[in-house]
Amino acid sequence: MIDTLWARWERQATAQPAADAVISWCADAEPVRFTWERLLSAARGAAAGLADLGVRRGDVCGLMMRHTPLFYPLYMGISALGGIPSVLAYPNARLHKDKFIHGLVGMAKRSGLRWLLTERDLESTVRPLVTVTESTVEGLLFPREIDLDIRRTVEIEVSPDGVCLLQHSSGTTGLQKAVALSHRAVLEHVARYGAAIGLRAEDRVASWLPLYHDMGLIAAFHLPLASGIPAVQIDPFEWVSAPRLLLDVIAREKSTLCWLPNFAYNLLATRLREDDAEGIDLSSLRMLINCSEPVRADSHEKFVERFASHGLDARALGACYAMAEATFAVTQTVPGQAAHVLYADRAALSEGRYQPSESREGARACVSSGRVLSGCDVRVVSPSGEPLPDGHVGEIEIRSVSMFEGYRNDEAATHEVLRAGSYASGDYGFRLAGEHYVIGRRKDIIIVAGKNLYPEDIEDAVGQVPGVIAGRVVALGQDDAALGTEIVMVIAETTVERAEEKALKLAILKAGMAIDVTIARVYLAPPRWLIKSSSGKPSRRANKDRLGELMQLEARSA
Amino acid sequence: MISEKLKGVILRALALDDYAITEDMLASEVPGWDSLNHIRVLTAVEDAFGIRFKSHEVMRLKNVGELDALVRRKGGA
Repeated sequence: MIDTLWARWERQATAQPAADAVISWCADAEPVRFTWERLLSAARGAAAGLADLGVRRGDVCGLMMRHTPLFYPLYMGISALGGIPSVLAYPNARLHKDKFIHGLVGMAKRSGLRWLLTERDLESTVRPLVTVTESTVEGLLFPREIDLDIRRTVEIEVSPDGVCLLQHSSGTTGLQKAVALSHRAVLEHVARYGAAIGLRAEDRVASWLPLYHDMGLIAAFHLPLASGIPAVQIDPFEWVSAPRLLLDVIAREKSTLCWLPNFAYNLLATRLREDDAEGIDLSSLRMLINCSEPVRADSHEKFVERFASHGLDARALGACYAMAEATFAVTQTVPGQAAHVLYADRAALSEGRYQPSESREGARACVSSGRVLSGCDVRVVSPSGEPLPDGHVGEIEIRSVSMFEGYRNDEAATHEVLRAGSYASGDYGFRLAGEHYVIGRRKDIIIVAGKNLYPEDIEDAVGQVPGVIAGRVVALGQDDAALGTEIVMVIAETTVERAEEKALKLAILKAGMAIDVTIARVYLAPPRWLIKSSSGKPSRRANKDRLGELMQLEARSA
Repeated sequence: MISEKLKGVILRALALDDYAITEDMLASEVPGWDSLNHIRVLTAVEDAFGIRFKSHEVMRLKNVGELDALVRRKGGA
């Protein structure tokens, strides 16, 4: 039966009032455990409090808060009112204030943001959201100061086809796209995805993932909530400074399911020393699912090698292919089986077909993202849109019962990717014996630690640095096998003297910091060095291929 | 003031030629010192000073000065 999120949550609370629903984990304190009864009661209080402040059905409510137990009832309370919650990243201290507010104002206009629920110390920064001309934002709300302990029920009738949440793509230009999903899409999806991972009542989720990201929001939050299984939520900032927190949670809570982006496997495998690994027991994990950035075989190998002696079952290491536009997953590996790995001949692969390599040496290891979920259809197509047979590389096109209906208020961007109900992913891959292997992407997007970065944003910021020739910058991603993710490189044309190059490189690094992007390498090039593409802009691909020349040039002049 | 040795280790871990790192500075104010590189910096400090940090110790660090103090407390040479 298709219903709304709130109706589903209420049914869970009636069925198992004393069971754990959400456990908000804090490193230095006892975790806050919400039973279903406590969670729903708090969410009703939040709904009443927010209604008193003017929040109405259909209002888009941004939530920009640090990790707090308050978040869960707030999010659910917005839903009870028929509002549309949208989780937004809390700004990193590195982010330049002007860049941040510029991006936020643009995003708010596009998404029709009505309220921003945030914290008092961000007030002066985000106030322009309300005061700019033609602002859609009615006001800022500070949930820590609102009385949410209200024993009154305010619930609004909501249609299953109504929008239940908005998810924003990353970026700093204000052109972030907002994916709108209906109650029907989310509930259909979690049911089908739950079936794909063999979800059962005994499952328990552990997650440090940020909730502004589809993997955190759908897999680690909506899936357990709608299915009535408990989820532990860890502060992403705490996790990254002390990665063993996740392993502690898995051991203490006997977690069975966890989703991670690839870099986290490397981080955990290489940075956790044995003398700091006491008490770690991963034997409860039945699925550890790699998603959100390219899945690397050596990351899985490192992880298994590191944690096999801590009870990890190698068969738990799965993978999935997912995107916010399809709510979340499109393919998923089979529970109880490690993700398949194929060793492909690189030359054949570059010509667009899979051919097994004669030896693993020098081969490209391709990790399967699994089989197609029910309700989804995945086609691998040629540049002219013709479906390709098994083993042939093409763009991945998707149809899904949980497809988004378009980017909110952005017809052009929607039209670019969504044609006749098919979503053009921009990713390249091939299918073999029902398994799907994603091996590259058409778009120049850079994925660092699961976060999508747009080269245009970086080029724009670097292009404004005095000494860099405007418009003559390219930003590129490069695989870093040790980190298990990509790093950002920049090539910038300049006319500055040799003696000023060090200062210029530092200024470029700082320009990256201002948009919260770590630039790992800066290469300076003489004027007219960068090759242009047919559009007249420097070509990222062509210039990446020439990077070797630039490195030689630097080595000679050093 | 933080020790020259600590400063040198941080700069090398972040592949910076030079940068004025002061004790009241936050990691987020140093180029390259993002959350992903944080652990790389801490491991470099451990190796250089022959000490070991526990997870709960590094989680409470607020600025570079506190890292310096932690290194000294642990007898880092």
